[in-house]
Amino acid sequence: MAIEAMTVEVAEASAVGLKAVGAGLAVGLAGMGTGLAQLGIGGAAVGATAENKEMFGLALLFTVIPETVVIFGLVVALLLLFT
Amino acid sequence: MAAVNTTGPAPYIYACTRMRVRKAGLLPREEYMRMLNMELPEVTRFIEETGYKTEIDELASSFSGVDLMEIALSWNLAKEYQRIIAMVPGHLKKLTKSYLLRWDIQNVLTVLRGKTQGVPSGKIKEILIPAGSLDKVDLDRLVGEDSPDRIVDHLKDHKLYSVFDREMAAALESGSFARMENELYKAYYADLIRESKGGVKGGHAFLKYVRLDIDTKNLETVFRVKGETDSESIRELMIEGGTFTIDELVRYAGIENVEEIVDTVRKKLDIESFSDVFDAVRENKPASEIELGLIKAKLDQMDRLSKRYPMSVCPILLYLEMKMYEVSNLRAVARGKESNLPSERIGACMVV
Repeated sequence: MAIEAMTVEVAEASAVGLKAVGAGLAVGLAGMGTGLAQLGIGGAAVGATAENKEMFGLALLFTVIPETVVIFGLVVALLLLFT
Repeated sequence: MAAVNTTGPAPYIYACTRMRVRKAGLLPREEYMRMLNMELPEVTRFIEETGYKTEIDELASSFSGVDLMEIALSWNLAKEYQRIIAMVPGHLKKLTKSYLLRWDIQNVLTVLRGKTQGVPSGKIKEILIPAGSLDKVDLDRLVGEDSPDRIVDHLKDHKLYSVFDREMAAALESGSFARMENELYKAYYADLIRESKGGVKGGHAFLKYVRLDIDTKNLETVFRVKGETDSESIRELMIEGGTFTIDELVRYAGIENVEEIVDTVRKKLDIESFSDVFDAVRENKPASEIELGLIKAKLDQMDRLSKRYPMSVCPILLYLEMKMYEVSNLRAVARGKESNLPSERIGACMVV
């Protein structure tokens, strides 16, 4: 009986832990993907802006676009943690 | 040893994007067409309003008229090339420097030719473009020398010194530097091929460009000498390393039937960009038109390569070439206007 109660507790704790790991992975991997995408876009954006200052606004916009990916990751993480 | 990329791809993307933006800022065809309808002072003002203002302002106190424009254009080109060498990262720098070595050949030959023909040093200096590994100081030193032998002595550390040294005696004896020029370009292209195959990152894209350049030059020779039967002298003019072997090129040059040459060349070099040139050859257009067509075809193909290899040396080389042709076009407009040539004739000399 004592062993069964322990197992349920462990299982519950594990579920919470795995949710946290999942949330972490969702944000972490999405962040890495965003970073990789921004590496190229950022390099190109800085290059284009260095040549033509008028491109700054557009370049900034392009740099921000991959941020949506990390927001998706964040949403998944929040869903995992709070539902 | 191959250059090692320790900073990731971002600097390459940065440099290649800058080249693309610069390329987009070059004068479009419509501007040249507008310029052809202007008078010389208007052309000068127009050029001053583009990217050449600094140089024109700097040189305005020493030169005037078309000379001012020509020297300002050369200075701008040299400065631009030096800025690009300073900007490009890693292996791109090495490949760009190797490509720019052609300016050393042009400059040293200009000095040698000028010196042997008794041209004053000041005049020689005006037409030098220090865009290669020999900077302004090195070139001034060469121009300051009295004899061709001493000029070559100054080049002891240069990559192409062995060719200069080997060919100098024969050139002085014959009074012509044409053979030396051929040999220098052969050595230059052999060096580029060696470098692109030397395991350097991005060498593959560079090799494609080198092959294209060699093919263009060899085809120019074939189309110029078509029907020529002296195979030995033709062989000496051909550059090794392109799509065609030297034997093939010599054989093409010996064919009298234009249709046959075009068909044979096309079978091996089936590139869309060259089809207009082949048509021009077929229609027996003048040599100058065919040469311009080849340059345009090369630039078009380079543009395709730069899109296929966007983070390679190709966008840089494309910009360097296009900038060079922009300068030569502007020079053609200025000189043509000064000589009162009709606009059509000036337009026919431009790469637009």
